[in-house]
Amino acid sequence: MAAGRLTARGDADLIQASKRGDLSAFEEIYAAHAGRMKSIAYHMLADRADAEDAVQEAFLKICRAAPSIQFETGLAPWIYRILLNCCYDAGRKRQRQAEAPLAAEPPAIPGDVPLQIAIRHALGRIHTQYRMVFWLFEVEGFRHSEVAAILEIPEGTSKKWLFEAKRELKRLLTESRA
Amino acid sequence: MTFDCKDLERALAVPELLPDARKHAETCDACRRQLWLWGEISSVAPGLREEWETPDLWPGIRRALAAQQKADRPRFGSRGGWRDWRLMAAIAALLVMGGAASLWKYARPAPAPAGPQDPDFLTEQTLKEVEQSEAAYRASIDKLARLAAPKLTAAENPVAVAAREKLLVLDSEIDNMRSTVSHNRFNAELQTELAALYRDKEDTLKEIVQRAQ
Repeated sequence: MAAGRLTARGDADLIQASKRGDLSAFEEIYAAHAGRMKSIAYHMLADRADAEDAVQEAFLKICRAAPSIQFETGLAPWIYRILLNCCYDAGRKRQRQAEAPLAAEPPAIPGDVPLQIAIRHALGRIHTQYRMVFWLFEVEGFRHSEVAAILEIPEGTSKKWLFEAKRELKRLLTESRA
Repeated sequence: MTFDCKDLERALAVPELLPDARKHAETCDACRRQLWLWGEISSVAPGLREEWETPDLWPGIRRALAAQQKADRPRFGSRGGWRDWRLMAAIAALLVMGGAASLWKYARPAPAPAGPQDPDFLTEQTLKEVEQSEAAYRASIDKLARLAAPKLTAAENPVAVAAREKLLVLDSEIDNMRSTVSHNRFNAELQTELAALYRDKEDTLKEIVQRAQ
C-alpha cells in the first residue's frame, strides 16, 4: 500500500532527483509519506510536536544521506527506517532529559471502554518489537514484505511477530474484560 | 478432526484450521468470543491511526533543507562544477588575493607580526594536531566497531535494527563531512561538526556493547 503509494514521479526518478538534492523531489516524498510518518512518529513518541520534529529530522537525514545510499530495497523502507531511528533518538534524548524515570509499568487496561481504546492501552503492555510490527501492518497498512524491509528482519519474522502481538493483545483484552 | 477448545490457538496460527474453529465456536461461547476478539483487533486497528493537519510542517522542512544544502560546500563536478560562474569568480578572487599577498610579501624585507586570527580557521600546526587526533580517534572507534559488530549482526530486535541503520547513516554522513573537510581543512567549524559525528557514532557503538553485556 503506502510504501508503494504513487507519486507524480516513479521511485527511480525520485531517488535520482533526491540524490541531486532537488527540493521538489523531497516535496513529493513528503506529500506521499508525511501522513504515515507523522502517525508512526506519534505512536512512538506520544506527542504531536515531538512527532513533527522527528519527521523534520528524518527529512534532513534523508537529504544528507541520499547521495551516498544504494536503494536496494526501494525508497520507502529506507525513509521509514530513518524515521524510526529519529524517533528512537528522540525517545532516548527525552528519557535522558526527564528528571524522574519514566513509569516502568504501563497503566492497567480499563475493562469498560470501547475496544479501540482498550487496544491502545493493551499495545503499551506488549513487547516493543511485536508492537512495532502490529502498528506497521495492522494500523498503517504495510505489507509483510514492506514491514520486513523497514525493520530489516525476514518476512517470516514479521509474520511471527504479528501473530505474537495479536495473541498477546487478545490475552490482555480477555483478562481486562473478564 | 475433532476440534477442542485447546486447539483454538493453533487454529489462529494456521488459517486452514479456521473453518473447524468456527464450527466449534457455534456451540462454544468462550471460543466464539475469542474468535470474535481476534477478528476485531484487526478491524479496529486502522482506527488507531493518528492524523492531524500540519500546514506549517512542510514549509519548515523546506526551509531547513534549503539551509542545509546552502551550508554544504559546492564540489567540483556537481551541478555545473567548473562551469559555475560563482565558483569561477571565487577562484579568480582567490588568485588575485594570492598574487597580491605574494607581491606584498616579497616587497617587504621583514615579515609583519601575526595579527589576531579568525577563530574559525586553524593554523597549520593546530591543524596537524587536529588531524592526528582525528586519526587516533577514528582508529579507536573502528576498534569499538569491530567489538560491537558480532552483537549487532546477530541481534534481530528493533533496537539492534535501529542501531545498524543509524550507523549506516552516520558512516555516510561522516564520509560526506570528511570529503567536505578535505576541501576546506582549515575550517574549525567543519572539523567540529566532523568530531560531533564521530562522537555520535562512538556513543551508538558504546550503547550496543553495553546492551550486549
